Amino acid sequence: MIPEIGHFTLLISLVFATLLGTVPLIGAQKNIAAFIHLAKPLVWGIFALLSISLFCLAWAFYFNDFSVYYVAMNSNSALPWYYRLSAVWGAHEGSLLLWVWILALWTLAVAIFSRRMDEVDVARVLSVMGIIAIGFLAFVIFTSNPFERTFPSFPVDGRDLNPLLQDIGLIIHPPMLYMGYVGFSVAFAFAIAALLAGKLDSTWARWSRPWTLAAWGFLTAGITLGSWWAYYELGWGGWWFWDPVENASFMPWLAGTALIHSLAVTEKRNAFKSWTVLLAISAFSLSLLGTFLVRSGILVSVHAFASDPTRGLFILIYLLIVIGGALTLYAVRASNVVSSHRYKLFSREVLLFVNNIFLVAALLVVLLGTLLPLVHKEIGLGSISIGAPFFDRIASYWVIPFAIVLSIAPLVRWKQDKLSRLKGSLAPAILITALISLTVYLTFNINSFIHLLGVCLAAWIFAMTAYELVISRQKTKLPLSHWGMTMAHWGFAALVIGVAVTQFASKEEDVRLMPGESVSLNEYNFKFIDVKQVTGPNYTAYKGSFLVTRGNSEYQLHAEKRYYKVQSNVMTEAGIDAGLWRDLYVSLGENLENGAWAVKVHVKPFVRWLWLGGILMVMGSALCIADKRYRRVLSASKGQI
Amino acid sequence: MKHLKLFIPVAAFLAASVFFYMGLFSDPTDVKNANLQRPMPEFSLPDLMQPEKTYHREDLLGEVTLINVWGTWCVTCRVELPYMTKLRQQGIKIVGVYYDNAAEAEFSGINLQQTQADVKQMLANLGNPFVFNIYDKDRDLSLDLGVTGAPESFLIDPEGQIIAHRRGAIDERVWQRDFAPLVAQYQGK
Repeated sequence: MIPEIGHFTLLISLVFATLLGTVPLIGAQKNIAAFIHLAKPLVWGIFALLSISLFCLAWAFYFNDFSVYYVAMNSNSALPWYYRLSAVWGAHEGSLLLWVWILALWTLAVAIFSRRMDEVDVARVLSVMGIIAIGFLAFVIFTSNPFERTFPSFPVDGRDLNPLLQDIGLIIHPPMLYMGYVGFSVAFAFAIAALLAGKLDSTWARWSRPWTLAAWGFLTAGITLGSWWAYYELGWGGWWFWDPVENASFMPWLAGTALIHSLAVTEKRNAFKSWTVLLAISAFSLSLLGTFLVRSGILVSVHAFASDPTRGLFILIYLLIVIGGALTLYAVRASNVVSSHRYKLFSREVLLFVNNIFLVAALLVVLLGTLLPLVHKEIGLGSISIGAPFFDRIASYWVIPFAIVLSIAPLVRWKQDKLSRLKGSLAPAILITALISLTVYLTFNINSFIHLLGVCLAAWIFAMTAYELVISRQKTKLPLSHWGMTMAHWGFAALVIGVAVTQFASKEEDVRLMPGESVSLNEYNFKFIDVKQVTGPNYTAYKGSFLVTRGNSEYQLHAEKRYYKVQSNVMTEAGIDAGLWRDLYVSLGENLENGAWAVKVHVKPFVRWLWLGGILMVMGSALCIADKRYRRVLSASKGQI
Repeated sequence: MKHLKLFIPVAAFLAASVFFYMGLFSDPTDVKNANLQRPMPEFSLPDLMQPEKTYHREDLLGEVTLINVWGTWCVTCRVELPYMTKLRQQGIKIVGVYYDNAAEAEFSGINLQQTQADVKQMLANLGNPFVFNIYDKDRDLSLDLGVTGAPESFLIDPEGQIIAHRRGAIDERVWQRDFAPLVAQYQGK
């Protein structure tokens, strides 16, 4: 009964979404007040209905209703309750339901926090989000219904959740990622609504900014979590693989990053308007494209969801309507947009534009690198694979000019500035950079130019950003958003130094160890103590204990090799001693003869800085959103904004 | 001319869509069909209960046969056994391919006598659908078949072509939908 309720509310929500996608839009175009007033109640309705749906699916998981096909395929009675709940988004159908629910959540948030906005404009925005919802709801209902039953013969127990997903990182990774992907739909809807109304001004940018920042923060958090999870769960110490699905999440991130910066220019200087609109459309389009790439099985990837041409075709048609429609609207309407603002060559506008160029260039490289294998195959040139070496190399060149622009731009004034004014900043910044770089250089003996350069660039960004903070504080009390920007830029610096040092100075060794034997790596002595059999709720495992010593310090590490019975899968859980300056990492490989084990040990300096960078960026975006100016926007009366 | 460049994004997107469309229908990694319309692989493996006896591919030919990959360690196989036994009573030839669990083998070592005793007991309790069981001791046959887990079943025609494939348990619903029509086709001849 419960699954039928969920299915029913899902169907009704499609009806509501269809109304939301049409009626208020017509109302806004023809100025019919009654139609416009309908937008907000419909949004509340969709949110309530989808919440019931999601709750019903969670209920079926919690109470092990294996007559529901999706539950039977992705859960098991031995699975702990928290994984049974997170299994709701453990596979294709349920994660799509979560996707539309999050869309409903964002739509509701827009409806709530835009009371001060012109009602007609809000109706347009909500209506555009309704149109987006129609496609996804139809997709769920017609191709991927999570409530499908398997009466009369249903399995006595489920096939279990993919063991890779039985992990805290994976409980929160997808919702965060979807919050980011779907969050860009708000900026998209604002842009489309503005194009439809022909009102592209700085008000539009001011309204879009906090939403874009929020979506970007969530997406950053989602990507960071995914990287962290891969690091400790996949058992070989990697943290980014340039896998097509990772790229699919990275592309909207790059577009979103460009959008944040471009929106700043549009809001403050009323410039780059047409470009900003295009970025707003692109960020969400790339999120949709990512969904298509992942769900259609068109690209071969470790994140394989069901590969099904019908589903792929459905999304493709949807993409053609939404992205194709949006870009066509842009092409037709954007020619009316004139950015009248003037600025000189050396000004913050231009530097931010250069920043955008670099981000979009990076985006295009990732896009082409991801799609080229597909195009190559389809035009009959055979299969090629573009992987990590290509992307790594491009990224290492790309970061040099990008970091230099990033470090200078916040110091440069709007409209025009003189390079000579910045001279004062150079001496202390160079001093700090030299100090940090030298320390890192001596500690790790970095004799590779590109890695040392990475360290210098990170130190340089840190120093320049800190300098900017100090001199700005002397002038005025800094708003929160300024702190947010600084923090996000430091996050980028942390990421760069983390990549540079980890790539250069990480040591790893594959060894064959008997209990009692040890191996030395970078002044650390890893001693293999023993292996015990342990039993978890739905798995049995070998748990290897290691004692790592260095001087007088001792660290206990426990690496597990788990065997999940139902799917007959073997998983590794790496033993990690995490630290700001280095991680010690042990994973168990094969059980060899005579009680010996293949063991992988790593010492990874600075690897935490990668995720620290991500966390700083997320905190930065949170600070920006918390800034008073947005609250002022929200509480200002209609006339003023 | 100036306005024409605004159409570049939509044009690029449409061009990419053409490739997306082509890509949708040419995925070589589609595992759904990869197991069908290909011959049952060659093998030479012992009987599970009488290891001195050896089976080959030829032993499976001549009539339509259901190959069921299973193991005593597999929970879902228990569920499937009674229904399979019923199928045997209806005259379906079912041959088991028994394999030891990879992790189990790694974790505690395999003792053939123990396995035989477990199998005997399990079949006595739940029903024995098998004409005989092939012991896939190094899991080579499972590998050739592309087995991803147990239970998994393959229906082969009298010439040894795989004509149906199922990952997971076979129950009444699955049998009637995916297997019964094919079996009827051959048994009718």
